[in-house]
Order: sequence, then structure tokens, then C-alpha cells
Amino acid sequence: MKTINKLREIRIRYIFLLFLIAFIGCERDDFQKLDQRNWQLVWSDEFNDPAGVLPDASKWTFDIGTGQSGWGNQELQYYTNNPANVSTDGEGNLVITAIRSGNSFTSARIKTQGLFARKYGRFEARLKTPYGPGLWPAFWMLGENIETNPWPQCGEIDIMELRGQEPHIIHGTIHGPGYSGGNPVTKSYALINSRFDIDYHIYAVEWDENKIDFFVDDYLYHRIKRSDVPGEWVYDQPFFIILNVAVGGNYVGFPTSQTPFPQKMIIDYVRVYTEQ
Amino acid sequence: MNTNILILLKRFIPLGIFSVLILGCERDLDDLNPVTYPANPEVFIDGFSAGLNYSAFGGSVPTAFDVDNKETYNNSKASMRIEVPDANDPRGAYAGGVYFTEVPRDLSGFNALTFYAKASQSATIDLVGFGNDPGASKYQATVSGLGVTTGWRKYIIPLPDPSKLTAERGMFFYSVGNEDGKGFTFWIDELKYENLGTIAHPQYNMLNGEDQVETSVIGVSKTIGGLTLIYNLPTGINQVVNAAPAYFEFTSSDESIATVDAFGKVSVIGGPGNAEITAQVGGKVVNGSLKIQSMGAFQHAPTPARDPDRVISIFSEAYDNVIVDYYNGYWAPYQTTLSADFEVNGDRILHYTDFNFVGTQISPPYVNATSMTHLHLDIYIPNTLSANAQFRVELADNAGGGTGLFTTTIPVAQSQQWISLNIPLTGFTGLSSRTALWQIIFVDVSGNISSFYADNIYFYDGSPPTAPATAAPTPTHAAADVIAVYSDAYSVIPGTNLNPGWGQATVVSGILIQENNTLKYSGLNYQGIELGSSQNVSGMEYLHLDFWTANSTALNIYLISPGPVETGYSLTVPTSGWTSIDIPLSSFTPVNLNDVIQIKFDGNGDIYLDNIYFRKN
Repeated sequence: MKTINKLREIRIRYIFLLFLIAFIGCERDDFQKLDQRNWQLVWSDEFNDPAGVLPDASKWTFDIGTGQSGWGNQELQYYTNNPANVSTDGEGNLVITAIRSGNSFTSARIKTQGLFARKYGRFEARLKTPYGPGLWPAFWMLGENIETNPWPQCGEIDIMELRGQEPHIIHGTIHGPGYSGGNPVTKSYALINSRFDIDYHIYAVEWDENKIDFFVDDYLYHRIKRSDVPGEWVYDQPFFIILNVAVGGNYVGFPTSQTPFPQKMIIDYVRVYTEQ
Repeated sequence: MNTNILILLKRFIPLGIFSVLILGCERDLDDLNPVTYPANPEVFIDGFSAGLNYSAFGGSVPTAFDVDNKETYNNSKASMRIEVPDANDPRGAYAGGVYFTEVPRDLSGFNALTFYAKASQSATIDLVGFGNDPGASKYQATVSGLGVTTGWRKYIIPLPDPSKLTAERGMFFYSVGNEDGKGFTFWIDELKYENLGTIAHPQYNMLNGEDQVETSVIGVSKTIGGLTLIYNLPTGINQVVNAAPAYFEFTSSDESIATVDAFGKVSVIGGPGNAEITAQVGGKVVNGSLKIQSMGAFQHAPTPARDPDRVISIFSEAYDNVIVDYYNGYWAPYQTTLSADFEVNGDRILHYTDFNFVGTQISPPYVNATSMTHLHLDIYIPNTLSANAQFRVELADNAGGGTGLFTTTIPVAQSQQWISLNIPLTGFTGLSSRTALWQIIFVDVSGNISSFYADNIYFYDGSPPTAPATAAPTPTHAAADVIAVYSDAYSVIPGTNLNPGWGQATVVSGILIQENNTLKYSGLNYQGIELGSSQNVSGMEYLHLDFWTANSTALNIYLISPGPVETGYSLTVPTSGWTSIDIPLSSFTPVNLNDVIQIKFDGNGDIYLDNIYFRKN
């Protein structure tokens, strides 16, 4: 009697599994085993101003000029606060435009330094990248204490970077003391049969005291645990946000005569969440 | 255990069969689609896909193409090998051919033709493309100047508007010439159609994306070129594809001014007025436009009327023209002048734009204009001049005669009308001889003639003729109504002395003009004609005479009857060609018309005479 009951139990379990597989299927997310989160929006810019308006001065300031040695990377562009290089388009986007005139380039780099910085949370932007050899867009963050603790000690989190001659690959990276410049902690994410300049994608990091997770369209492609960092973990302080389009430099190489200009990065929104 | 499993199976199998029965396999006739052609994307992978033919182009080496089993991409079984010939290869001038199918294919689901290629050296593949059937080749698209290297690289040819490619037979074609006289070999593998998500940002262009404005007139046609598709490749750089007109839908904003056909041929049919020609591809607006500013009916230059025997023509429909090297030498680097010559109803017009200076060069043996007196030129300035303009014509002689300059002022009021210039060749300052004229140069001295038309450029001899070129008109009066003194058309009075010795200085001669006997008086002071016998002309009404003179200032004709009684009649000289006159006999009173014995002329100059006769009716 006991044996017959046990067999019945097994049979019922198997049938149940059969139904599960038949009706629920095999979604990719099921294999990522992500923790459930409860995010609350703490800061955002939806860029809903009319066309031709500079970014909200209560949220963004500008890096102007060429910095030191092309912003440390031999970049070619001169950053401005000219609406031709950075302004809303009246359709819910902020557009950063790299413009060539002759052999010189202008573009824009905006940041929330001094206006907004946050420790931990989810930082995301929905945007379309520019393309073409020598174009280098970025959505990234720097540690707030950069004035007193110069880079790389302040830490850098690059949520999205792209080389314009490979418009189908983005890179998520952190730079810190001992692992910066040419040897940061980095991973790439590539589209198999598409490119990042054709459509909007959502680039995000979810960051807490133990790890920094990198996402493209809610797919986790890179997890850096505190213990993975080959040096000091410097990510326990607020970071501010930067958006820019660079032209040329050590990371991407130079634009050629075949690089189409002007080039635009089109940003639908930037949003920052904290965990409830 | 086994029995339990059997029970499980027994439960589920009938369920399965039952559900298949319910959901059914009935084919609804409404689900049938219209016949479409196969969408086979493969052209050459390890060999040719079925149903593919090859045909070499005329003038190419027929055996240039072959299949190669050794040099293949990624160790595939076979590749296409093409051997481009050296210059002067007797088998053919280049390598070129087309791969086409018998059964058309539906390519509308793809967006690119791709292949791997490498070559025996760095080289340029002059032309590749698809859509050459070989037949109408309606949807042909090509890429020029692909650079190949010694390593395998992937090449992408984006397809313009694939939605139109539902029945394509032309899968691939190529045309490649030597590099600096030397041939080379290249290979192609993995040739196929694909749907790539990695090409982006398509843009279509007409006129290469430019907005052009053109002034035109009724009767002019122009075909729109610069039809391209630009696509961004996976490497971030753009690829230009030349697309056939069939991909484009052309529109004219005003079809009463200009129409445009499916091939992009614009015809100006009305005006004055404007029409803008634009285009779409598959509903998407195309960059570039052509704005036609029609001036209306074209006003042709006045038709030349000079004797062709006295003209050396450079450019005119009215005469045979000498052979020229060019009507615009495009003399770099300083010349800005471009040519936009056009033809209206068979009349070709030279049209110079962006004018600063421009030269026509005559081919050897050049023009010997020694016996010419003038250069004729018709010019038309289509835009209103902002101020009076200085226009210079230069004549260059190739045999040491130097270059002559002639400058004329064109007042503002002469804008938009034909201006005929007749320039005396002696007016070209600096031209010492003109036995080998080889260049005619126009110069915009004042800088405010931006464009002009030119026509009827010719040298001519304008000196006055010294003798008639044609015979006097043949008389038409009935012989019965005529008493003829001198004419080939009638029997004349026998025994008439055309040169009696009256002590005159005049030299008389009989000459033939166009086979017609004509009487010539050189250096007239006075001259008589003694009729062979006395004539009774009282029944006649007129004395008829044809006379021709270029240099006489006085001429009178007399009838004489015995006495002598003579009365003269004054003739108008000089003449313009032959003058035919019927003088009423009543003008000669009191000469006895029953007994006319002589006719006399006096005056001066050189006179030609014919058809001297009395007539009635």
C-alpha cells in the first residue's frame, strides 16, 4: 500500500512539471536568477523642454574646452555650452551633437557635479548612440571627492561607452587605484545583428556596498563584486553623473575623412533610483 | 513501474490525438497567397546555386571567370576566381560578366548583397552590382571602386528599396580593368543576399543630394543623375550605391512648366514659370531637388543669311562648321566657366555659366581668315545685368600672328536679348596676321556677366561684291511681245554692234555669269549700242533693262532716232543686286519711236547689263 501511494506522488509531480514546461516555457530571465528589487525614483531628467534649450541648470553644469591634453585622453573636441552642441529637441530628448568644421571638432560634456551625487542605487539612461570611426560617446560617473582625491582614487564607473567604428558593442567599466586607464575592470556587450545607434537602449548600473551590476535593456552582462576588484574598492561614496560625446583620443582612435558628421547622441531620460 | 508508465501513456496519447483532430488540418482557400518567386539568398557558397547562368560582357576576356578549389574563404570547397587581363591582351580589354538566373527570385526580404573577396595584390574593383538581367535591367544598382587586399574581407552592397525586388534575375555582375596596365587576380566567395541588422541610416539622393536651380526654356530636356543610396556600414563609414531610376518616383510641382518621366528625364514644356522636381523612394523623401526656372519660349538668334561661299563657320546651324577641339577648354586653375549647352528644336546653343573666361580651340589646320573681313557672334545674356558690362573677344593665331583683343561695352538695356556682333578683323588690336587662327576666347572683363548663350560664331567676307554672283533674272514676257536688243532668252536684232567706236573710255566685254551671257562696261563714261537696223517700237510700251552696279554714282540710258534726236532716262545707282526696270517709252519724247537706231549709256563706274528689250503687254 505504501509503495503504491509513493508512486502516485511521483506521478503527480511529473505531470505538474510537464504542465509547467508546456505553458510557462523557457524565458532567458529565468536563468539570470536576479533578486527582486523595489526601486524608488529619487532624481531624474526627462528632457521635456522645448527645442533648442540648454540642459536644466539646476541639474547640469558644463565642462568647457579641451581640458588637459584633450581631457587626459588626447581627445580632439572642444566642449562648449552652445545649444548647437547640446540642447533639447522638443520631442523629449536631449541631443549632444559633435560637429566638425574643417579639422576641428566641437561637442559637449555635461555633469551633475556639485548639483547631484548619490551613493548606491540604480542609475539608468535611455539613449541612442552616435556612430562612425573616432566617435566616443559615454554615460558615466565619477566619485564626488575627485577635487580632494584625484583620479583614479576617486573612482570611475562607466555605465556605457562605445567606439564609433564598432557601433554594435558597448562597454561597462570601472576605474580605480591600481586598475585604471589601460587596465580597468571592463566587459563588453555586443548586439549580434543590430547596432546601438539604430534604436534607444537602456543602460544601467545597480550598485550597492557589495557589487556593481551592469545592464543593457535589463540584461545583466557584468557583475563586479567587491571581492573582484583588483585593488581598493572606492565605491562607498556619492558619485555624480556625466554625459558626453568625445571625438578621437586614445580609447577610440581618430575620426577619418569618411566619418559622417555631425553626429548625435540622443538621450530620452536619465533616472536615479534608490532601494526601498 | 512499467504498468504505471503504460497507464500514463494511455492517458495522454488519446488526449494528444484528440486535440490535433479538433484544431484541425483544413486548408482555407482564403489563406492561399499569390504565387511568389523563391527567396533563395545564395548565389555562390561552395558552388553556384541551382539555375544560375553566366555570361561574359562584350569586349571582355570570355574566360576571365572560373571556379577555384584552392583559394577559398574559410576552407570552403570552392570560390569564384576572376583574372583581370593586362592592357593590350588580345583576348579582351577587361574582365566582366553577369550571373543571372532563369527563374526570378524574390529578394524583397533581404537588405544587402554580401561576399568575401581578396586579390593577388591591392587593387580596385571598378564596378560590381546586381540587377543586370541581362535585359531591361530595371533595378540595377552598382558600387564603384571597391578596394580589395590580399586578405579575405567581407563586402556589403546594400540594396536600394528591396520591396521592388520581388522578381529579380540579375544576381551579380562585375566589370574590372587592369591596374596601371597590369592585370591581377581576385576571388569572391560566400556571395549571397542577407538581411543585416548592422547596416543603418539609409538615405536616398538625387543629384547627389544637391538642390540645384537651372534656368531653361521650352524644348529643353535634361535627365536627372546622381541617383544614389547611402547606407552606413557596420564599421561606421558610409557606402554609396548607384541606383537605377526605377527605384525613384519623380514628381514635378508644376507639370504645365516641366514634366518628368519614370527615367528622370525632365522636359520643359511651358513658361515663363517655375517647377520643382523632387523624388521619393518607397514613400521616403529623397535629398536633392531641381528647380527649373523656365523663361518660356526660346528666342533663337537671328538666322544668318550670308553667302556660304564667303563664310568660315565655327558654330552655327546655318553653315558647315570647321572641326574644333572643344568649345570649352576648362583651363585650370583659374577658369571658373562651366558649360551647360542645350538644344531647342534642333538648334544647338552654347551656354556658358560661372563665366570668367573661356576658350574655343579650332583643330588643325586652323582657320586662314586672310580673305575674311569680320568675325560674327550672337550672344544673349539671360540675367539682367547689374551694370554695363565689358565683354572681350580674343583671337589667337598659331603661326606667329599673335593674339588680338577686341572689347565692347554691353549696356544693361541689352540684357535678355540677342546681340549680334560684327567685329572687323582689323579691330583686333595686336593681331598681326590671321593665316592660322586657332583660339577664340571670351573674357568677362567687368565681372558682371555670370552666364551667356552664344550662337552663330563665324568669320565672313563682308567686302562689297564687285560683280554679280548670280545671273540677271530670266525674262518671262512672250517673245511675240518683245523686240530684243541683248538677251539669251530671245532672238535679238541681227547685226547689232555692242561696241561702236564713239571715242568712249568705256571698256566693253561679254562675260558668262551662271552660264548666262552678260554685258560688262568697265570704267563707263559713255557707251553706245548701234542697232543692226532701224526699229519701229511705236507699238511697244516699255524699254526693259536689267542692270547691276556696285560703284556707279550716275547712270542714264538714251534712245536715239535720226537727227540725232536723243532723250535720256536716269537710273538709280548703285544697285543692290540686279535691278530690273521697265521704262515707259513715253519717257523718251521727242525721240521718234518709229525710227530708233541707237541706244546710249552715260555715267560712271562698272556696269553689268542684260535683257535689254522693248516690250508690250
